[in-house]
This record gives sequence, structure tokens and C-alpha cells, in this order.
Amino acid sequence: MGNNTKYWKSLDELNETPEFLANKANEFPEPLPSEVFGIESNENSGTNRRDFLKFLGFGIGAAALASCEAPVNKTIPYLVKPEEITPGVANWYASTFSDGYDYCSVLVKTREGRPIKIEGNPLSKITQGGVNARVQGSVLSLYDSNRLRGAVNGKDSSAVSWEDLDKSVVAGLEKAAAEGKTIAILSSTILSPSTHKVIASFAAKYPTTKHVSYDAVSQAAIPEANLKSFGKKVTPSYDFSKAKVIVSFGADFLVNWLSPVEFSKQYSQTRKVSKEKPEMSKHVHFESLLSVTGANADYRFPVQPSLMGSALVQLYNALTGGSLPSGNKVHEEGIKKTADWLNANKGNALVVCGLNDVNAQMIVNEINKHLNSYGSTINLDTPLMTRQGNDMALEALVNEMKEGKVGALITYNCNPAYNTSSMLGFVAAMGKVGLKVSFSGTLNETASQCDFVAPDHHYLESWNDAMPKAGHLSLSQPAIAPLFKTRAAQDSLLRWSGSNSDYQSFLKNVWATEFFPRQSAYADALTFWNKSLHDGVAEISSGTVPAVEKAPAPKAKDAPAPESGSADLSSVASALTSVKGGEFEIVLYEKAAVGDGSSTGHNPWLLEFPDPISKVSWANYITMNPEDMRAKGFGLLERQERIGSKTKLTLGSYTFENDIPVFPLPGQARGTIGLALGYGLKGSKAATHADGVNAFPIVQWVNGMAQYYAAGASVAGETGEFEFACTQQQHTMMGRKIVNETDLQTYKEKAPYDPTTKTGWNIPTLVPTITKDGSHAPKSPDEVTLWDEHPKPGHFWSMAIDLNSCTGCGSCVISCHAENNVPVVGKDQVAKTRDMHWLRIDRYFSSPMNKEKGKAEGLGKVQTYLEMEFPATDNPKVVFQPMMCQHCDNAPCETVCPVLATNHSMEGLNVMTYNRCIGTRYCANNCPFKVRRFNWFNYTGKEKFADLNPTHESNELERMVLNPDVVVRTRGVMEKCSMCIQRIQEGKLEAKKAGTKVEDGKIQTACAQSCPTDAITFGDLHDENSAVAKLYKDERMYKVLDDIGIQPTVFYLTKVRNDEGEVKI
Amino acid sequence: MISTHSLHRILLKKILPSIFVFFLSSAAIAADGKKVFDQNCKTCHTLTDQTLTGPGLAGVTDRVPSDQWMKDWIKNSSAMVKAGDPYAVKVFNQFNKSAMTVFDGVLSEEEIDAVIAYIKNPPPDPSKKTETVSAGDEGGEAPKSSASKYYLWFTIFVLAVLVFSLRSTKRNLQNAVHRKKGLAPLPEYTIKEWMQHNKRTVALICIVLFFAGSKWGWDSLMAIGVYKDYQPSQPIEFSHKVHAGDMGINCEYCHSGASKSKVAGVPSANVCMNCHKAVSSGTMTGEKEIAKIYAAVGYNPKTQQYDQPSKPIEWVRVHTLPDFVFFSHQQHVVVGKQDCKNCHGDMEKKGVAHQENILTMGWCIDCHRKTAVPGMGENPYYEELHKKLAEMYKGQAITVDKMGGIECGKCHY
Repeated sequence: MGNNTKYWKSLDELNETPEFLANKANEFPEPLPSEVFGIESNENSGTNRRDFLKFLGFGIGAAALASCEAPVNKTIPYLVKPEEITPGVANWYASTFSDGYDYCSVLVKTREGRPIKIEGNPLSKITQGGVNARVQGSVLSLYDSNRLRGAVNGKDSSAVSWEDLDKSVVAGLEKAAAEGKTIAILSSTILSPSTHKVIASFAAKYPTTKHVSYDAVSQAAIPEANLKSFGKKVTPSYDFSKAKVIVSFGADFLVNWLSPVEFSKQYSQTRKVSKEKPEMSKHVHFESLLSVTGANADYRFPVQPSLMGSALVQLYNALTGGSLPSGNKVHEEGIKKTADWLNANKGNALVVCGLNDVNAQMIVNEINKHLNSYGSTINLDTPLMTRQGNDMALEALVNEMKEGKVGALITYNCNPAYNTSSMLGFVAAMGKVGLKVSFSGTLNETASQCDFVAPDHHYLESWNDAMPKAGHLSLSQPAIAPLFKTRAAQDSLLRWSGSNSDYQSFLKNVWATEFFPRQSAYADALTFWNKSLHDGVAEISSGTVPAVEKAPAPKAKDAPAPESGSADLSSVASALTSVKGGEFEIVLYEKAAVGDGSSTGHNPWLLEFPDPISKVSWANYITMNPEDMRAKGFGLLERQERIGSKTKLTLGSYTFENDIPVFPLPGQARGTIGLALGYGLKGSKAATHADGVNAFPIVQWVNGMAQYYAAGASVAGETGEFEFACTQQQHTMMGRKIVNETDLQTYKEKAPYDPTTKTGWNIPTLVPTITKDGSHAPKSPDEVTLWDEHPKPGHFWSMAIDLNSCTGCGSCVISCHAENNVPVVGKDQVAKTRDMHWLRIDRYFSSPMNKEKGKAEGLGKVQTYLEMEFPATDNPKVVFQPMMCQHCDNAPCETVCPVLATNHSMEGLNVMTYNRCIGTRYCANNCPFKVRRFNWFNYTGKEKFADLNPTHESNELERMVLNPDVVVRTRGVMEKCSMCIQRIQEGKLEAKKAGTKVEDGKIQTACAQSCPTDAITFGDLHDENSAVAKLYKDERMYKVLDDIGIQPTVFYLTKVRNDEGEVKI
Repeated sequence: MISTHSLHRILLKKILPSIFVFFLSSAAIAADGKKVFDQNCKTCHTLTDQTLTGPGLAGVTDRVPSDQWMKDWIKNSSAMVKAGDPYAVKVFNQFNKSAMTVFDGVLSEEEIDAVIAYIKNPPPDPSKKTETVSAGDEGGEAPKSSASKYYLWFTIFVLAVLVFSLRSTKRNLQNAVHRKKGLAPLPEYTIKEWMQHNKRTVALICIVLFFAGSKWGWDSLMAIGVYKDYQPSQPIEFSHKVHAGDMGINCEYCHSGASKSKVAGVPSANVCMNCHKAVSSGTMTGEKEIAKIYAAVGYNPKTQQYDQPSKPIEWVRVHTLPDFVFFSHQQHVVVGKQDCKNCHGDMEKKGVAHQENILTMGWCIDCHRKTAVPGMGENPYYEELHKKLAEMYKGQAITVDKMGGIECGKCHY
């Protein structure tokens, strides 16, 4: 029945209208949309879909054929080749980094005349081959495209010829001198004795000259306090290597305070333990925030900044039995114990303090005097020359400027418009100065306010010297000819003072006439000069030091009357302990990589480096204790979220214009807010991308001294969201043996493993096996393997990382960055966990929860693990672990690569072949350490990264820093630590050519070379006498995650903390 | 009478040899003169008006007071200057008071005579002469192979035409026969019909075409990025044949990086000037190409000063490995004791630099598989490795690949 039913599509069809019949044969009753390919009508046009496909095919074919064309490469040799340059072979020059914040004697690696890498100079007695992250990064600032190409007018940045500039400046200077107005030279600390002489010769020509130096982060209180205590206005030199007990009050001496590279070396010497020397220093740290140095301490006590003085006085009282007014009690038991340890180690103790407060430093002096530290760990006679800025002189100068008494202001190596306190009013005062000249290499905040900018050379282009410590000299030599039409500041000053001498000959003359007579090792001045130039360093008798003002010495050195002394002391102590606190106190600090920002705040390498503690890169943010944040109603980031909050920060009458992100940081003293200095610079793409606030305006100015904390801060709840570029979201080890840690007592007394009780401080990994007869026999994972062993007939490269020495400073990360052409990817990519660092430093906090405790408390497994994820909020222990490719013998990445792009070498390396990689990322997924990095984009070609990645192909200048021995990877390729295989190959070749064995220590990976604490040892495990082979047999040796049978080649040495649980904190 | 026969004998036995001896001896003197000149005089003198350290020698024998004076001067010029010979003093002063080398005792009388004779009658302009020679040389060598290829194709074409015309002739003849016999003419096939009738042949042709096409495709794909025989024209037509071949200059004199660095390097122009300050005219292109070096370094051969603006020479790179390959010359030259020839071919027989080998990874690995590590037993670096490898590969030669020479990480990082 239903078969007869007729269906029709339209009434037209039913009625069989003529239109319907006419169109019946057409496939489409209506014409196709005519806009296809933008052509009026399909029928009339010559182009249809088929043609389009033809064109497409032809286009692709043609493009493919065209790409087969051989590119014509030009090779342009030198016309006259300099004798010392062989293309393809690196030249090394000894030089000196000194930017007013850091000092470091360095070796500069140049290729074809271009500096590409900085390494430490092992001949220096001060830095001893160490370098920090900032110095490592300095090579990139040479190629900063923001550098001025020549002299300019500051205000409109129009170019001006050097002749015109000289004429105008000299006219301005003469005018100021004629009017009797001050000519001020404002600088950061100048370590160079020759530069001081240049300034003196300038002052001889212009008698109204006044030289004022100041530091962005000042330690001016130390010389002031020494003047009061000892009649010597000096910063003493410290020797941490002699200290058995080190107590620090807020001095971040491993990465920022005074001379961090030197102190790191010294400190690490006291932290190395072995069975032969089972002794190490005890480090007690009182601080408000959680600093890198604090994280390394054996005992750490969080103290609000307003109570820091009280803590100091209480320690003094506890040590001497004195009764100075001591304010509120702080960590009573801790201070008592600290006093006991100190008293037990008189003569081998050291107390340092980072507060820029004369009273605090005077108490510290008294403590050190009591501990007989002078002459052992502290030396007043060979003063340290870093951070010699004078806050009071700066204040006096600004006042003079305000009164219009300053006729000319010359700023050298400083940026006062950016990094002075708003309380000084420097910018406003600048307006009243007649002539303003800056020597800045870039158009920074100060230079853009100046009449003229006479750009100085970069330090890698200039001659200079430095005296970081009395008697220790250091030379800078140019490693490249000046890139631009810049001129050494000293040359400018010499020219303006009417001298015809250039700075190079001036410097040589100073060395020949001043320093040569003060040494006895060399008989003639030329040999002395040549040797010093070769070594980069020289030693002379300390003598009198021009940089330090002669102390007025009201009292004889060793005769301060005890009565009056203690009377003074009690007023000092009461001033110190009466500092007012508040609900929230703000603490300003410097980050490990950015420091004071002066030469680092524009550096993309350093800005991308995640802070060692928070692991956040590319931002300046407020840190608060998680409990405080909870109380203020902020969302926390303690687990695996990345989106945090922003808030408005107010300090007294100063409110930050932009909202600032808030980051929870366990271990920070309750009631404190941390904010980093060195951010918020203007002008460079990198600083703009970092987009941090500048905290310098809220530096307090108290009694003529800069003070880096303030009470009366408030935060106004959550005002917005912020995505943190945080590289580590898991904060605890979840009960696994990732960082193995023990205490000194246990290390000394107990065996690493007792098989009977199955306990110990370094329990070897054993996997359960069952034998044929059914008995259980736990075996080492090395014995139980599915895989055939890789034959290693020659070398077996391996690396030892001593977790006891590693301070987490990050020098290795930047060194690796520079050596291996690692791209910078920027904030949003890091936030997507796409950071490219081959070497990262993992930071773990301790958790109050562990499996035993969870069992005891009857928590379920899930609940226990959930709680284990949270670090202890008030005072967690912190450990650092450098993590890079572990070059596993049974590498899980190798087995999953479908194209064999990653495989094993006969020398124990897991090698990565970029040109073979097709980017499946299976290897990264299978890597238990998550150290493989994927090139999600063409970081050197994609336009988006042009502003960020210094080695982007559009940044022709910055690209000069690339290491020509390492490939620049492209999109879709996996990369990872290669154990600096280019250095291994080079070292082997040298040995083969010389017909010798590879000498242990000759081949150094970039990270091992730059480590200021010698935590990383690289070498050949098959060479029985190598350092690494010896460490392999050390009882502290363990391998991370070796229970999964991967047999890592990199191994770690157990961290030993000198805490025996004596103090409850 | 002398018979024709004996005349022949006399001619053969007496006159011919003497003519031969005559020509031979004069040729010998000229050759000697050239040799003596090249060995002793060429660094300071040219045969033209061109001044080097000493004056150009064109027409010198007419300038000097006498032939004997010239001989004395060559023997010991400073003695003549000391003695106060006026012309000698004049020449001495004119050329910055630099005395000419004393050849007394160095050159024999005959040699001095020969060299004077040579200077008197210098050979014709060498550049013109060699141009024809080089054209002949190149014309002889290179096109030969391609020409033979063309002959082959031409022959194939001619044969094909022949086959077709023969077929059509045969067909015409058959048709004629058919017509005579009154049979129907042979059917006219279209190509399609012919193909239907000759399926086997068609299949065969298809198979042949398929394989030929595949091979062509494969070869052209494999040739991507392979620049064997790449010989770009260079800003200076530098001939390796003249320098490394005829002059016998060691490769490393110019490519000095080969034993010191990963790159052998193109020599800087100051290396060229070591010789070309003296040699301003070459054997192949005369002054044309050498003048380009002078232009580059800003050297003025007239004044012998570097007083002109200089401009680097932009050579075109011939041997280029991809960026992701690390290749070290010193590894191969110093440690591996490889001859330059092994990769670069007989450069001393070629003119402008060209790429002799394919330089692909397969080519590298091939060599690494075949080459026993040179000096492995002697170099203390290899001592232990050698012992272990000898155990692992008993009785076999230890080639580069056996000690990891074909691992990715050796060249790619």
C-alpha cells in the first residue's frame, strides 16, 4: 500500500511547472554562491575549484623546487688577519667585572673577536674562579641594542658630535666653576684606583668638584659604625672559611651582600664534609624574608624587621651576660643556643648583619669583638672596597642641588633618578642643576633627564682596573673593539680637565708609578704589567688606600674607655630596640639574578631566571606568609594552580600605581611583605615584558641612611588575577628520596645503611626479586635490568652534585644558558611550563606531614598525601637540587623515540640529535626527571619572540652572543642537557693532538666551571684518579629515582645539615 | 758522384744531427736562462717596466753601459758602488740604497750569460699564451664526457628514426605485395588499436617507464642539498692548479686553519701578498686577477705602498656542510692523519675550487666504517681504549666506527 505513496520536494515538482522542468536536469536548482574565491560568477570565470587545486599544486611544487636551489654562501676572510686569531678557535682574555654592585675577576671567551662567554678566573684570590648569575649575564648586555650609538642630547635623544659635546660641557663646567658652584660627580662605588685618580685630576682643574658615591642598595652603616667603634671608616674584609659558627642577621651574603662570589667560595669550604673531615660550620640565620642564604642555613629564625635589632641586642646580652635594653623577646631559646655555640667557638666565629643601621652594626661590632673575630674572621686592615657609597653625602648633595648650589652634575655608572628613595626628591632636585651630564651607556631614567649623554664603553670594551680589597688588584682589558662611537668615561673626564692623555696610558702609568713599587715579585714595570694583564689580577702591599677616607679618629684604636663604651652601647641598644613595628612591615630585598637591577634589570636571561626561592620568573611581586594571605582572604598557590591574586599596596602615603601580584612564600616572618628591588626599569623590551614595579621610591631615609624596611604597609585584599610564570608548582618531595638529607651527628656516628635494621641515612635502593627456589632477595636496580649494557670501552662521563655545597644561586643556569644557546621564551610561555632551561634548580620545602605521622594520626592514605603536598608555613627547611638530564644508562627516552633521534653514546652520554628529531615528544613524556625541553615555536624566527629572545634572527646585535659550536634549534625539536658535549669533544681533541690522556679537570661543563661553591664536579668515571670517580665511592652518593631501573649517570651527594634537633623553632 | 742514396746517408748522418745539436744547444741556453731567472731574480725583478724591489728589466741591456758592466753588477753590485762606478751609484741611490744580492760564486759565468741572454729576449707575453692553452685544456677535458652523452642520445634518436622508417618501408613493401596478390591492404591501426594488439609490448614499455621514472625521481630527490661538482665563479679566478700543482705550495700554507681549528679557512689577503708582492703577473691570466688582490688590500704596485682604499674579497663558499653538523678539520688532519685529497680530491689538478665529493652523511659514515684509526697503537690517548677494543674486536681492524665514530653525538650537537 505504502508503495504507492508519492513524495515530492516542492509544489513546483508536484505541479510540474515549466521552471521546474527546465531546471530538472541541473544538480543544483539554484546557482552556487558566487563569492567563492572572490569571483563574480563561477560559470563565467576562468577559475573554478579544479583550477584552484591546480594552482595550489603547482604553487607547492614550485615552492618545493625553488627551495632545492643551493643558497650561495659568501665567505669573507680578513684582509689582514690578526696574528692571534684563528677562525674557529676561541681566545681567552682575563678581565674584571665591576659594576658598583658586584666584583668578579673573569675570563672572557671570544670567538672571531666576539666575546661570547664569561667564566671565573681561578687565579683570583678573591673570587677564586667563581662567577654569579649577574656576571654570567653581563656578556649579553654588551650586545644590548638599546645601547647608545654615540653621544646624544639627553632630552630629545638627538645625536651630537663628540667635539660639540666636549665644547658645550667644558663651557658649562667653566661657567659653574666661575660662579663658584659645585661640580658634582655622582657615581656608584668605584673600585678602580685609576678612576679615582682621574677624578682627582679633574678636581684639580675644577676646584669646586665634589665626588659623591652611593649604592643603590647601601651598606653605608658598616663603615660609619666602624668609625665609631674603631676609629676606622672602613668595611672590613670577612673570611667565612675560618668561621666554625656563622650567624647572620639579614645579610644575604651568598648572593647579594657586599662580595657574594667571594663569600660563597669561602662559605662552601666550611660546608664540604667527607669521612676524612667530618666537620662543617654551623650557620644560624635570622631574617624576615626567606633568602637564598637563609635557605642554606642550619637554623633559620624568621624575625620581623622591627625586631631584628632586639634580636641582636638579646644575642649580645646572652653572649656577654650584659643587660642592655633588649625590647621584646625574640626566639629566646634559639638566641640562647646560638650564644652557646658562638661562645664555644671564640676566635672561629663570625656574626654579620645586613641592616643598614649604624646602631645595629655597632652592636654587631661589639659581638664580634667579644668573640675575638677581629684578626681571624674579620680583618679591618685589609678593607673590602665594595659598597663604599655614602648615604649622608648623597643626602647632602641632593640638598645642595635643591638650593641651586650645584652648577654641574656628572653621573657615572649610576641611575639616581631610578634607584634613590622618593624621600630624597632627587628628580626634582636635578631640575635645579645647571649642566647635567651622564656617562650612561643607555638612555636610562637619569640620562634622559640630562643635557648630554656621553656614553661610556661596556666593560668588555674598556681598560680599567679595580681594587676590590686593599692589596688586591684586578685589571680589565678590552675583549672587543668598541661596537659604537662610545668613549670611556675616564677619557671624557681627562679631556674635560684639559689632559691630552688617554685613559689606557694613564692607567698604565698609575700601575707603573703607584703599584709597581708596592710589589716585589717583578723587577721591571713592564713585566709586572704584562703578567698582571695576563693573569687579570695582581697583589701588592695593602698600603694606604685612596678610596677610603682617612678616619678622623677621635679616640685611639684600642682605647675606647669601657665605661663610656657600655654607656654608649646602652643608648645604641635602646635606640635599636625602640624601632616601631606594625601590622605589616614591608621588606625590600634583591633577587639572586637581578640584584639591584643597575646592570641586570634589562637582561632577558636574568629576568627569565626563576627566583631560587619562589621559582617565579619575569615579575616583581609581593611575597607574604601563606597564613597572612589566608587571613587577608587571598587565594593560595601552594598546590598546582598558577593563577594568583593581585592587590593594591600602600605604604604610609605612598600607593603603588599598579596593582601588584601576591605570592605565598612559606618561611617568611608573619606580618611581613617582601618586595624586590631592581624591577620596573624603562626602555628595554625585556624590562617592559617583566613589567614589575620599582620599589626604590619606598626606600626609607632614616637618620641619613637608606633603610630597606618600613612599618605601616597595608594590602587591600584581592583586586585582580595574575598568571604567575612559575616553573615549579610542586613544593614538597612527597616522602620520596629526591633530595637525601641527614644531620651532621648522624652522618658522623651512624653507618649510611644498616642491613639488619634496614635503616640508615643513605638507604640504598633495592628492588624485590624472587629466586628460583622461591626466596626473596632484594637486589640493587643495577643488577636487575632488562637491557643489555651499553659498552663503554673509553671514557664514561659523569657528574657529581654535592647538595651540601649547592646554595641554589643560579650561576650554573645562566652559564648553561649562555653556553648552549638556550632561547628565552617569555612570561606566557614559562607560565605554560614551556621554559627552556636545560638546567633547572629544584627547590623543595619540608612538609609537616609525613607517612609515619599520617599513620600515627590515623589519617587515610589520600588525606596523608594531600597534606604532604603543603609545605610547612612558618619555618620549613629548604633544599636546592640542580636538575638536568641524568644521562641514564637505561634511558627511558631512548626506547620510545620512533626515529632514534636520542640514543646512547659509547661514553655514557644520552645524546640528542636535533636534525633527526620529528617532535613526537614521546621522550619528554617518558622522562622521569622532566628535563627535556621542546621547541614549541621557532623562537629565533617567530615574530612574537623578537622582543624577548635576544638571539632572535631579527636582533642582529644580540645574536652575536651565540656560541658558534652549538646549533640553534628550530621549531618542533626536542632539546636537553648535552653535558656540554662540545666541550668534551674539544677537550678530547686537545688530548689526542697532544698525545696524552685527558687530564682530570681539563674538561669542564659550563655549569661546573661557573659554580662559585664547586658543588658540581664533572669527569671521567673510568679514570680511577678523577675527582668524580672518588666522589662516586663516597658514602653520601645516591642517585635520584634509581629505583625505576634507569641507572642515572649523574649522581648526588647527600645533604648534611649541621642541626641535631637541638632547638625547637 | 754521390748517389742519391749516399746523399741521404750524409744528410742523415752528418747534417741532421748537427742541425739538431744546434737547435738543442740554443734551446738549452734559453731554458737555463729562464730557470736561473725564475729561481734567482723573479722575486725582485720583472721582465717588463714594472718595478718591484728592483727595476723592471725590459731593455735593461740597452740602458746599462756595457754587457760586462751588467755581468759585474750581477756578481757583486755593492763592490761596484763602493768603487764609485757612477752608473752603479746612481742605480743604488734610485732604489732606496738597497743592495742587490751578490751572485758571485752562486751563479756560474755560463748561467749569468744565459740569464742575460734570457733578459734580452724575453718570452712572449705569458697571459696571451696561456689563455689559449687553458681554453684548449678545459675544452679538452670537461665537455668530452657530456659530448659523448650527446652522441649517445643522438645515436639512439637516429636508430629510432631508422627503426620507424624501416618499419614503414617494410609495411609499404608488404602492402605493395598484397596489392599485387589482390589481397586487402594491411589494416591501419590507431595508436589505441595498436596498443590493444600489442599488450605485451605496452606492458613492457610501461614497466620500463615506471622504473626509469622512479629512478629519476629518487635520484633527483637524493640530489637535493648535494652539490657535488659545485664550482661557482669566484671574485678572483684563483687556480689551485697553478698554486698547489705547478708551484707546489702546501695546502696548509694558505689554509692554515686545517691543523689548528675546525675550519681550514680561506686565507686572508695578507697571505696572498706574501708572494704576490713580488709576483704581480701570473702564468694564466697575467696581471688581471692579481690586480684584484691589490685592489682588495689597497696596494699600489707602482709606488709599492698600501695607500689605496681596501675592500674585503667576497669569496663564494664551495664546501658547505649544514648548520647542524660539526666538522673539525684538525680532528681529521692532525689526529686522523687524513690527506686533504681524501675529501677535496686532486685540487692541484683543478682550476677554481670545486666540490669533488658529495659530502653527504652516508659518504662520511662510509669512510668512518672503512678507515682504521691511524696511529691508534701509538697515541697514548688511545692506549686503554685500544686495548679494550682489540679485545672486543679480535683480529679485526679497529675502524673509526668501532670507537663511536658514527654516533650521532660526534657531529650533531
